[in-house]
Amino acid sequence: MEYIQISIDGILYGSSYSLIALGFSLVFGVMRRINLAYGSSLLLGVAIALWVENKLNISIIFFIPIVLFFCSLSNLYVERFCFAPHNTKAGVVVSMISSFAIWMQLDEISSQLLPDRTHSFPSLEISTFEFGGLFFRGDQILNIVIAFIIAAILFLAVYKTKYGIVLRAVSNSADTAKLMGCNTNLVNSLTFIVAGVIGGIAAFLVLSTESQVTPLFGFWCTLKGLVAMMIGGLGSLTGAFWGGLLLGLLEAHLSYQFGPISREITTFSILLIFLIIRPGGLMGVNIYKDLKSRDERI
Amino acid sequence: MSLYLVTILTNMTLISFIAISAYLILIVGEVSFGQQAFFGIGAYMTATSTALLGLDIVIALFFAFMVSSSFALVLSFLTVRLSGLYFAVASLSFAELLRLSLYKVEYTVETNSGTIGPNGPEGFQNIRWIFENNISPENFLVIALSSLLTLIILLIFMENSKLFKNARLVGKDQIVAQSIGIGPFFYRIGFITLAGGVAGFGGGLFALFNTYVEPSMFGIMLGVHGLAYSIIGGLGYPLGPLIGVFIDIGLLESVRFLSEYRMILFGGLVAAILIIFPEGIISPRLVSRIKRKLVKKNNA
Repeated sequence: MEYIQISIDGILYGSSYSLIALGFSLVFGVMRRINLAYGSSLLLGVAIALWVENKLNISIIFFIPIVLFFCSLSNLYVERFCFAPHNTKAGVVVSMISSFAIWMQLDEISSQLLPDRTHSFPSLEISTFEFGGLFFRGDQILNIVIAFIIAAILFLAVYKTKYGIVLRAVSNSADTAKLMGCNTNLVNSLTFIVAGVIGGIAAFLVLSTESQVTPLFGFWCTLKGLVAMMIGGLGSLTGAFWGGLLLGLLEAHLSYQFGPISREITTFSILLIFLIIRPGGLMGVNIYKDLKSRDERI
Repeated sequence: MSLYLVTILTNMTLISFIAISAYLILIVGEVSFGQQAFFGIGAYMTATSTALLGLDIVIALFFAFMVSSSFALVLSFLTVRLSGLYFAVASLSFAELLRLSLYKVEYTVETNSGTIGPNGPEGFQNIRWIFENNISPENFLVIALSSLLTLIILLIFMENSKLFKNARLVGKDQIVAQSIGIGPFFYRIGFITLAGGVAGFGGGLFALFNTYVEPSMFGIMLGVHGLAYSIIGGLGYPLGPLIGVFIDIGLLESVRFLSEYRMILFGGLVAAILIIFPEGIISPRLVSRIKRKLVKKNNA
């Protein structure tokens, strides 16, 4: 019974990892670039939204769109500043390092906006309920439901809509897509905005569950999203989703066994073990066997 | 010289070691986000050998070099199949694992000058080598600066050696390197190990100067800075990383009214410099152009 409870808690907690990893994976899938400033831009979006809320005293219903708006805005800033200028083949590493540098800028701006170490965050206040001797936190149930819905919407959008076709075309070969008349610049910007919206939803859900913000949230987001994505397989949307749940599950069990301090150690060990044994991730193909199919996957 | 200036110069010298270690890995075409951990290992090792074991500083720094380079050797063997983004993330997780395990290291000894030895999250306190040997800050600056200069002069001389040329080729295009019989395996492992050692040596000096170290000092932001310095400096010449260090610490931190916004300015500055100079300020292309000009002048 105890193990079932821990597993449930882990999976529920992991759904927030899944959401963040989906945003990560979307950007990687389309641009073949990794955005290390993702967590920090979410933190910045949240920080600006909180700052606006403090000034204007608005209710939670208006607060959510403000969070989403500023998250996508800061994501767009990262795209324009770190990714758009480096759109050649040699720019893959440069844009990664550029986003790495912007990470510290955004983190610093956020901590200037949130001068205290912890800041209260509006909570959704959904009560915990019991079912067959197991406890479920209401806000975490909401979290996993929204994660499922967003994953489903994203999947349908990528595989069933015209926007999805353009997206996959750009992902497959940006040059060919350009020759066919796709505005790849616009597609990239839109991808970052969508990733910002998904990340904003994830950030809001996570922070309202915790009902506080710390300046470490940016690092936390980037880290968990990255690990979940790499476990699942780089650039695979389904992989990112299941990777997040798996990471939550493993973390819950290992931190129950070895104490809460080892939670971080667990995350990094899982990542390192996966990278050494199976660099392509769970859903990914073996990255060295089949280069072509790796590039075609989204 | 005022104490403020001496401290800033010493900090610049010490962080240059991380920048150079990041540079060495960039030469073989990899990006490491984990050099801060080797810096930390070196710091802890030097602290242990001077404060706990009472060894000589030369031996202590040698130990720091050896131990941190052997950790780097382990990393390079673990990640032998990885490259690019995968290597970067693997080095990051390896570094954080090392740093987090420092939180668990506890071995303290009571002496009449206080508790010494690694003490979990509180770190390693009372590294009294500077006080015991009456080293003034100026003298320490001379020690640090002369070791840095030795390292750079060594690297400048190595620059024309076959070893470095082959390593650069491996970094630039692995397939071309393999096709003319240069196996990337040896160069990758060698340079990652050497880079770990260089970072560890710098960390050792840092521990002596700072008189106390704790695991939270070796967080990812230290690595970000080190990497950013060598990236904006460029990969053309060993002096490149020092340009980055100078821009950040020399210009931004030392100017008082800027230092509060230093991280904001520097982050933006790195991204802006990378837009103008994607290969860094002293890029390999620039160096070869200058070399060609010099050769022409000599011939004429």
